[in-house]
Amino acid sequence: MSRDAIFSAFEHAAEQPLESARAWKQAHGTPVVGSFPMHFPGELAHAAGCLPVILQESQEPITVGHGMIYPFYCGYTRSVVDQACKGDYDFLDAIMFGDHCVQVLGAADVVRAKLPNTRVHFYQLISSMSDPWSLGRARETFLLLREGLEEMIGHPIADDAIHASIQLFNQNRALLRRLYDLRRAGTANITAKQMQLAVKSSMVMDKASHNALLQQLLDELESSSDRQQRGVRVYLSGHFCQAPKLGVLDLIEDCGGIVVDDDLYHGTRYISTDVSEQGDPISALAEWYLARNLKVPCPTRVDQNADWENYLLKAMENSNAQGMIVLMAKFCEPHMYYYPEIKEAFERHNMPHLLIETEHELTALEGLRTRIESFLEVVKRQANAQARRVAA
Amino acid sequence: MNALDALGASPVKANRLKTSSLNNKMVNDYWTDVFDAKKNGRLVCWYEGVAINPLMQAADIAWVHGEAWSALLAARNGEETAQTAAEGRGYMKELCSYARTHIGCGVMAQKRGAEASGSSFADALGANQLGERVPAPDMFISAYPYCSTGQQWDEMLFRLFGKKIPIFNISVPWVWGNKKDATYLGGAEFKEATAFMVRQLRECIKFIEEQTGKKYNWDKLSEIMHYTKRAGQLRMEAMDLCIAKPGPASFFDWTTSLAPVNFIPGGPAIVDYFEQVKAEIEQRIADGEGSVPNEKYRLFWDGIMNWNKIGWLANKFAGYGANMVAGRYTHMGFWHEWDPIDVKDPLEGMAINYLVCPINLSAPLMIEEIIKLCRKYEIDGVVLHAARTCRAFSNPQYLIADAVQKRLGLPVAMIEGDMVDESFYKDELVNSRVEAMLEAIDGRRRVGIAA
Ligand code: SF4
Ligand code: SF4
Repeated sequence: MSRDAIFSAFEHAAEQPLESARAWKQAHGTPVVGSFPMHFPGELAHAAGCLPVILQESQEPITVGHGMIYPFYCGYTRSVVDQACKGDYDFLDAIMFGDHCVQVLGAADVVRAKLPNTRVHFYQLISSMSDPWSLGRARETFLLLREGLEEMIGHPIADDAIHASIQLFNQNRALLRRLYDLRRAGTANITAKQMQLAVKSSMVMDKASHNALLQQLLDELESSSDRQQRGVRVYLSGHFCQAPKLGVLDLIEDCGGIVVDDDLYHGTRYISTDVSEQGDPISALAEWYLARNLKVPCPTRVDQNADWENYLLKAMENSNAQGMIVLMAKFCEPHMYYYPEIKEAFERHNMPHLLIETEHELTALEGLRTRIESFLEVVKRQANAQARRVAA
Repeated sequence: MNALDALGASPVKANRLKTSSLNNKMVNDYWTDVFDAKKNGRLVCWYEGVAINPLMQAADIAWVHGEAWSALLAARNGEETAQTAAEGRGYMKELCSYARTHIGCGVMAQKRGAEASGSSFADALGANQLGERVPAPDMFISAYPYCSTGQQWDEMLFRLFGKKIPIFNISVPWVWGNKKDATYLGGAEFKEATAFMVRQLRECIKFIEEQTGKKYNWDKLSEIMHYTKRAGQLRMEAMDLCIAKPGPASFFDWTTSLAPVNFIPGGPAIVDYFEQVKAEIEQRIADGEGSVPNEKYRLFWDGIMNWNKIGWLANKFAGYGANMVAGRYTHMGFWHEWDPIDVKDPLEGMAINYLVCPINLSAPLMIEEIIKLCRKYEIDGVVLHAARTCRAFSNPQYLIADAVQKRLGLPVAMIEGDMVDESFYKDELVNSRVEAMLEAIDGRRRVGIAA
């Protein structure tokens, strides 16, 4: 398959996630288990012989959902509620989730109410990460999830099966990380949009199929050498549960930025950490859950040992990024809480950043263009001045 | 008479409970004590959420409850300075206004440096600098049920103070209640959640011991919980009496009676307070005196309180002849499950109360409790206050509205407001929605559906 064909396969899955999951179910008879984003491991559902699908914000306008959730909620939760109300989730065999953000909890209640015939189970993951019992509690939660899945399929899930799924998922993360390395190094021109499609499709596709596509893509990219792109090196931060709109990503590049790295959930956050393939798999998942937050700190958790702002400054350095664009989903409380920390740290380090609030309803891109252009201009000037200082 | 007729009438005043004012003194004494704590060699703990203050009281630690503090500032018109300070550091307006206000105080305290605690309450009040002068924390304890915003509020304070002040996190599990055996207060999930809470409370007491350097005084905790339990019981008994018609007290009275079961020290004074409240209610029933002059409608308030507007709202509803008899905030929390508290070994009973606070039950369990209250108090309509920056309370409101409409046939009014950010309150909308609901109640009566 050509590079373009692979990306369009990714695009198909990423942009029509429910469609593609439904088709997979039809073709393979696999039960489909939906989950909320951010922290839930798909490995267990996969080991149970199911297709795990991370429920995505849909691009559809919110209509019937208005009758079940207030407008002052983040686009992700409003969209999930809307999809549940529209019956889009009816084909799912189960929804199993356990995140902690208060808005997601609200959506969870509505989803359960709208799907009376579906298993809608909630396994709340501890969100305080540095307590002596955090690890044990995470383990208990994953054990409950395993039990719930076993109850659903009617038989126990063998440790070996979980190990195999872990291995497959680790491969997937490693392949995606290689893609990131190529982009960071500048030896492959991968647009921000393509990067998102590669990661997002992994959240909804069968992992083995996704791995095969990624492998082909990497083979091709690693054997050809793209010409080094020129532009302002931009780091993208923010957006948790929902993928940033592709139009916004295109716009950044259109204005002369090249996105070199990110901490997006539909990006680095999703692939940052592997699960140990040895020992008790449930303990391994619990350890993964805590380790992940030290790798890429998550603002939906509280963790005395993690500092998002320091992580970002370091990540900017590692990727030679010159400026950071923060994409904040409107009404996202965890993000609003941590933003001042980032703002202060970046100002202290004289590192430029631009905050963009995004909405489910497509933001007026033209207004955004001006802001991005002038930001990139500032970054460029600052970078040039710095280069001159170094030269002198 | 039509509901709208009330509009043109001269302003009606709600007949508020006289005893409520007794609690002003308690509140003042309490804050005076907090402001003097450091001078008296006591440590100060900042916390939010459920009433874990007995744990601190038994160790002679003073406590600042973030919501109580923010509500007090709003009541004394001092919230704006704090909110502006928070905004100045980049906290956005859509964040929980309680948190913003409290964090704003943290920002101001930081600017002032460590001597932030050197002022008496009266001086700070006089100088209109309450927000700035609230004693800085020596520790944080976070025990926020359900709401991630609550847990993060503590975390942000911890970070704001340079990660130097010890923090203890209690994770309160949400009661999802999906298993077949799940009932209110019952079932394996609830039992497990209670046990997990008790484990953490024990750890928290160890943390407190580390901070004070003293052995924990369990006898003192029992004594405090004895009074707390009794106050909880008296409050529930007094609220139960309000099934009387006309209702002798209103939701608004109960909101102003929360301090003694929320953050005032557990002792004889809080018991005494609720004895007096109960006596006043009994007297009112004997006299046929209601909390609104002419009770035509009995309403239920869902959602958190709008502290900037409490007197205003009480009068507004009184003007319609509408008695807000009960509410989720007041009737489904604050030691309302006093019975399971074993004062000799109170942690489990405390944990149960924390778990069933007004936001921590998932919608199906919560709705059953609301329906019970609507039946018990013979409610005619439900007002749902969508507090803009408190998604925890707003979350289940469409499900609640749907349930009371379908199962009890009750008209509802959804209104917008906030806890302590006045700018989110829209008076015209409130009027038109409430009036539409009262009209619907009238309509039902005309066709003989409702009582
Ligand atoms: S973390 Fe942010 S984006 Fe995710 S559900 Fe919560 S508010 Fe929405
Ligand atoms: S949003 Fe509501 S429940 Fe959450 S911390 Fe603020 S006041 Fe408390």
